Amino acid sequence: MKRHSVINNMHACRQCDTLLPMPLLSEGQKALCGCCGAELFSRKRNAINRTIAVAIAGLLFLLPAIFLPIIGIGAAGIYNDASLVDCITLLIERRNYIIAFAVFMFTIAIPAVRLITALYISLCIKFYRVKPSLLVFFRSYHLFDTWTMIHVFFMGVIVSMYKLSAMADMQIDGGLYSLILLLFCSTLVSVTMDQHSVWQKLERSLEQ
Amino acid sequence: MSNKALAAGFGSCPQCHKLNVMFAEKQACTRCLTVFSSRKPKSLEYTLAWTLAALVMFIPANIYPMMVFYTFGKPDASTILEGIAIFIQMGMFPVAIIIFIASFVVPLAKIMGLFTLMYNAKRKTKLTLKQQGKLYHLVEFLGPWSMLDVFVVAVMAAVVNLGFITSIEPAAGITYFTLMVVFTIFAAESFDPRLLWDNHQKHHHNETFSQKRTTKTKITGDKHHGE
Repeated sequence: MKRHSVINNMHACRQCDTLLPMPLLSEGQKALCGCCGAELFSRKRNAINRTIAVAIAGLLFLLPAIFLPIIGIGAAGIYNDASLVDCITLLIERRNYIIAFAVFMFTIAIPAVRLITALYISLCIKFYRVKPSLLVFFRSYHLFDTWTMIHVFFMGVIVSMYKLSAMADMQIDGGLYSLILLLFCSTLVSVTMDQHSVWQKLERSLEQ
Repeated sequence: MSNKALAAGFGSCPQCHKLNVMFAEKQACTRCLTVFSSRKPKSLEYTLAWTLAALVMFIPANIYPMMVFYTFGKPDASTILEGIAIFIQMGMFPVAIIIFIASFVVPLAKIMGLFTLMYNAKRKTKLTLKQQGKLYHLVEFLGPWSMLDVFVVAVMAAVVNLGFITSIEPAAGITYFTLMVVFTIFAAESFDPRLLWDNHQKHHHNETFSQKRTTKTKITGDKHHGE
């Protein structure tokens, strides 16, 4: 029993495995490892409410970012534009299944799942409806951390805009603006989400 | 005295970072039920396998063309390096530099960084622990950025689709390139940075005795600092 209480007040650095006492943080502070300098965890201000707000905003921008045309070009009287979905369907038509799958996962599926899990978990904690199934949700949130690539896709759009503007008349469409806003929201979710306190809250309410 | 969690019989959960008492080699976290070990099992072997796979994929990715550019039905295929040469000839230096860094320098640097990390986790090295930690963070951070070229080709192929006048079709090289990027991300994920510190401790055992610094948690924050 004693060992149990000790272990709840200790923390091991993820990078160098040093055992450290669990620091008590007030909102807005973060703890660094004294051995290697890696960030242990941080406590965010008003994390739950902010995450709900940002996740809802992100989900609102998700559909226009996927379905509205991003950029279009015109040459010799013909005009063609493409949205994110057009990119993927075209890749499937040309039998580049691996790239189509990669683009779909990294720019649509994983960001969407991350936003939905962030919203669902924050709502459940806010309204005190914590269920064991939340553990699975939050674990998937961690798993997808490195696989969101909207920022890289956005950079790719910028590079292709630069290339195309030299070639033909190029037009920017609503999809690009939605994509920027979606990128903004999906980045903000990882900033506002307080993973450490969510895990603690889940643990505490599931023990009862 | 070692102040490592492993030596004390504890293990930190890779998903929720909760500290667990390790009763067995492999066990479920008491908080999030993830099954884990105190170190990633066979971390170096997996990292080596993924890195070698990525290195193998890097060859066809550079030999085969990335995309085929059709102007009035005439095909014009170009590989990564040929594409960069075309941009330099056209005088579009910013794009040439971005593409060169993102699709040639970064993948190679990542693969070399992974090999360096694996060497550091196994043998005595001249790099300090801080440099090794920074290298690991860099490799982790660079992960997704090499996908840039894949996204560029995907967008270009969808937008430049004006029938007979001009059209762009993705070619074989891009598939190998995508696989290479995904493999390097897997390699970075299977690497356990704690091995670097374990190895350092093994080689500098006597020094850690003499230095014996007290490890404390530093707390930084904007307003509440020093309270």
